[in-house]
Amino acid sequence: MDLSLDLLGNALVSGLLLGGFYAAVTIGVSISFGMLDIVNIAHPAFVILGSYTAYIANSVFGFDPILASIVLMPAFYLLGMAIYHVYDVSFERRGDASIRGLAFFFGLLFITEVTLVLVFGVDYRLVDAPYVGPSLHVGVIDLPLRLLVPCLVSLALVGALQLFLSYSFLGRAVQAVAQDPMALRLMAADPSRIKRVAFGLSIASASVAGAILIIIQPVEPSIARDYIGRIFAICVMGGLGSFGGTIVAAMTLGIVESLTSTFYGPSWSPAVAFGFLLITLAVRPSGLFGRG
Amino acid sequence: MPEPLLTFKDVNTYYGDLHVLKDVNYTIGQGEIVSLLGGNASGKSTTMKTIMGVVRPATGSIMFDGTAIERISTAERVRRGIAPVLEARRLFPRMTVFENLEMGAYTRKRGPEFQQDLDRVYSLFPRVKERQNQISGTLSGGEQQMVAIGRALMARPRLICMDEPSMGLSPLYVEQVFQIIQEINGQGTTIFMVEQNANMALSIAIAPMCCKPEKSFCPDRPRRCGATRRSARHTSASCRSPDRHAASRPARA
Repeated sequence: MDLSLDLLGNALVSGLLLGGFYAAVTIGVSISFGMLDIVNIAHPAFVILGSYTAYIANSVFGFDPILASIVLMPAFYLLGMAIYHVYDVSFERRGDASIRGLAFFFGLLFITEVTLVLVFGVDYRLVDAPYVGPSLHVGVIDLPLRLLVPCLVSLALVGALQLFLSYSFLGRAVQAVAQDPMALRLMAADPSRIKRVAFGLSIASASVAGAILIIIQPVEPSIARDYIGRIFAICVMGGLGSFGGTIVAAMTLGIVESLTSTFYGPSWSPAVAFGFLLITLAVRPSGLFGRG
Repeated sequence: MPEPLLTFKDVNTYYGDLHVLKDVNYTIGQGEIVSLLGGNASGKSTTMKTIMGVVRPATGSIMFDGTAIERISTAERVRRGIAPVLEARRLFPRMTVFENLEMGAYTRKRGPEFQQDLDRVYSLFPRVKERQNQISGTLSGGEQQMVAIGRALMARPRLICMDEPSMGLSPLYVEQVFQIIQEINGQGTTIFMVEQNANMALSIAIAPMCCKPEKSFCPDRPRRCGATRRSARHTSASCRSPDRHAASRPARA
């Protein structure tokens, strides 16, 4: 009995920490899909790209992966702006963003993945940092720094984005464009420009998400696809565009996955996680913190 | 007749093959309240969209304050002084009242005049000030309409174009909203509105016009409820009698 309580406690804590990491991976999609209605299924590929840039910064230049990823955010921001510009001119303005836009991002996903395979091969890559190995122990609970640091960085990232959206003029304009682009256009704003900034931010978040991914686990190019389902599940479960909802949904999914893999075996965890999504949507169709 | 502020000259607007505005001609003078009346599908909202540049006329010209605006962007039109109050209000529902007003001042962001404009809106609508931190989607219809008008005022417009300001409001709020429209007009802003509530619109408009699907517009000065420009108060008084009369009739289909 004692042993299983320890096990339960540890599973809960590692689920929470894992959920914190999921929030970082999902927050970009919460912006692009949740707020801008852009079905960016290539987002995980940019997260992996972020893992590789952090990997290079770490293994070649010896920088801390998280600091390097923060420094690299402007480059990812520009990449995101460029991608949105192509998407906007080619699809959104012509009004066929839904299906062709999806194909566009599907293409980007594979191009990014194949490029990474060609450059780095399919070997798993790791980073080295002082917090990768050790753990804190609080009573019977283990807090591996390898999970704790990413979780804290992730919460800081989400918090910073939320502050930007709530307290800056441009951030509020992003919210407005998410709610009624036509009305905002009639206030003399340029919705494309605002969306470009927001999409740039969503890709910039992938830089940090990638760095913390490669701290948590070894990375190879094709694992991006494993995250697509999870990311969109969290985004929908949290309520589209709600950051608080994204964190709660990410942690819920993390805990559910962690409990399942501890008590029933890892192969069941995706099934249980998506079952949880189905139940959530059946009971609250707009997500936990949805627009109602 | 006052100086013309907005002039439509032989304007034709299409939606695809559908010819919606046919050779429309009219003039709105500086400082007037003009209301455009008409049933559903008579081209009222299209007129609004043509003014705002959401749809472009195929032929004809639109003059605002002496320059042609039919080829310039919506944003530029707002910068030159035309602000819309949109049909069904179209507030940003999950943002606060203050944030909605802030978006209305988009052309000038948080310039030095921002606070001045905000104070003006708050003094016109004490109710909006009380609710400034409330999420706008939770306001009543009438309060939302006040925010929508306030949002238009934040752009410091010379002309406000209102699309059905009374739609979906309780009679009490309709009265209030129309009073405020007159007050804004009294401060020098020209008002052009599209309305289905003919009684109310006629009671305050200097120059009502009507809009029919087939014959387009009535002539460019259809009926003026006052021979010369008057203050809104007088105009409203002089228009009261036909309004009362109309009100006693059964509602039209």
